[in-house]
Amino acid sequence: MSEKIYGWLLRLFPSRFRAAYGEDALQLFRDRARHETGFLLRVRLWFDLLGDLASSLPREYRYAQPGAALTVSPQRINAAPFPSLFILRDTPPRATALLSGFVLTVSSVLLCSSLLNQAAARRPSRSSFRTPQASASPRASTPSSAQAAENANISAAAPGSDETLASQQSAAAPPSFAPNDASSNAAESPASTSFTDSRSNRSFAQPPALPPADSHSPIPPSNSPSAAAPSLPNNLSRATALASTSLDAAERHRVIGSAAAALREHYVYRGDAQRMAESLLAHEKRGDDDAATDGGTFAALLTRQMREVRADRHLSLDYFPDPLPPQPTAITSEPDPRYREIMKQQNCTFEKVEILAHNIGYLKLNSFPDPAVCEATAKAAMATLNGADALIYDLRDNRGGTPDMVAFMAAYLFDHPEYWYNPRENTTDRSWTHSPVPGSKLADKPVFVLTSHQTISGAEHFSYDLKMLRRATIVGETTGGAAHSGIFYRLDDHFGMGIPEANPINPYSTPDWAETGVDPDIKVPAADALSTALKLAEAKLAKK
Amino acid sequence: MPKRKLDPLPSAAFQILLALAGEDLHGYAIMRQVAEQTAGRLRLGPGTLYSSIRTLLEAGLIEELDQREDPQLGDERRRYYRLSSAGRRLARSEAQRLADLLRAARAKKILKGEYV
Repeated sequence: MSEKIYGWLLRLFPSRFRAAYGEDALQLFRDRARHETGFLLRVRLWFDLLGDLASSLPREYRYAQPGAALTVSPQRINAAPFPSLFILRDTPPRATALLSGFVLTVSSVLLCSSLLNQAAARRPSRSSFRTPQASASPRASTPSSAQAAENANISAAAPGSDETLASQQSAAAPPSFAPNDASSNAAESPASTSFTDSRSNRSFAQPPALPPADSHSPIPPSNSPSAAAPSLPNNLSRATALASTSLDAAERHRVIGSAAAALREHYVYRGDAQRMAESLLAHEKRGDDDAATDGGTFAALLTRQMREVRADRHLSLDYFPDPLPPQPTAITSEPDPRYREIMKQQNCTFEKVEILAHNIGYLKLNSFPDPAVCEATAKAAMATLNGADALIYDLRDNRGGTPDMVAFMAAYLFDHPEYWYNPRENTTDRSWTHSPVPGSKLADKPVFVLTSHQTISGAEHFSYDLKMLRRATIVGETTGGAAHSGIFYRLDDHFGMGIPEANPINPYSTPDWAETGVDPDIKVPAADALSTALKLAEAKLAKK
Repeated sequence: MPKRKLDPLPSAAFQILLALAGEDLHGYAIMRQVAEQTAGRLRLGPGTLYSSIRTLLEAGLIEELDQREDPQLGDERRRYYRLSSAGRRLARSEAQRLADLLRAARAKKILKGEYV
């Protein structure tokens, strides 16, 4: 046994040595083992052998000599019953060979890194943000026709709700939807007040708000004014919905079939779309869905089944107790006149624009309205705040809006174009802020963003990106978690799906705020957020 | 490829030369002889022993003889080695060098005794 072990250890020696002396070495071992019996002698024997290995192995490899030389044939290598070391070449590599090897290695490393760089250039990384639009002209004061087209698909939802935001996906797409947002739209209407900036004596008149739509029921997207109008006869439709809550197998089958078809047709990840569709059908076949006789449960179940394939929080299937309007086909090119009217009445949801003590600017903004309608208002508000030493954005009652306005507002806070991640759109040239904004003195001022659990969607977009860019301190509560980059597809009267069709690049290591919300940097109850932020701002200004 | 240097002569190689000075020996016998002449302090392991033997062979300091059996160790055939005249000269000069060293050490009173 011990001879076998030593035979294995001998394998560590260079093949040439083994060829010449392996047998002799084994023989020596046998002789010693035969003569040195007894525990102590055996221990000494192994001690000697291991010491010998340790000292002679490195020497053998360093001095592996040509000449003594049995070159190794491939047969011998193959015949080796276990891994062993052979030296196939007798001579050391020549200096020129070493040099050319070095050159080859260096050049392939350089080639690889430059290829990687090129690949990385397509993805925005923090360091490469500044290049693409450094020479871009500042944002035009009036929206271009292209922008107008992008803003075309504004539904006539209540101001401050999110329907308008997701509909930016593309002008040709059906309107997006925001089931989560709408359900969290608590019935709050901004007070009818007029605010005065104590310094400029400029007043922001705020007319009474529209009575909000029944905000506890999701507002399905639609271009048809009646669907989103405040006077939607919800009670009636809810009654009919309750009657049709119970699902039978035929309806489930129909919904699953249309969901699978919609996935295959629209989902941005084609392979996963196929697998999801198959998985939905397989689950149905196995009878996994049979227990779900309630619309909401069934929708949640299907959502879970789809996310088993790909954990995509932007993908969802939802149940609407109220019958959905027919899928709109016509896309209007102008913002809805009703929307214009509401915005005008509400001062574009710029509820307060004030300069507080210690020259701290305070903006209470309750949505991010369409710049096509509200750009002038936004500019005026920012002009008022331009002289402030610190800024507080109060988004505690902000329910989102258009990503264009989110980026427009953010542009004031940077002195160079900054990559502005938008989970709803593919990364394009438009993904950079139009900074610097001419005349803006805010690029280096401390910024605080106040959030609540009702802060959702576009407001979360604003908070998330500023937080990731370390441009703002978020104070308040974790936000609602409504990102839904999906485009809405109507499956039938009561079921719809949000399906992501864009695959934007998130340059940050953390996932965006979909479903989780944006965590504040300073966690305080929303009611205390303003006083906390004021203290922080004062402390920061005092340090200067 | 760097040749293993025998200058200075490694102690293992010198011991092997000394072991072979009396008679022709095979590997195991060399090992025992070395252990004996160093009072058990140096027990050459197989790796050290055979790599030294190979070096000495290549330097022409010892010669390999035909394989034969050692009657005391059964019927296995063994390779025997013999000191060559060059090996004998080298061993002598190495011993001389050590003797000089010894004299110097004695002169400095590091080592006592009169022999050599």
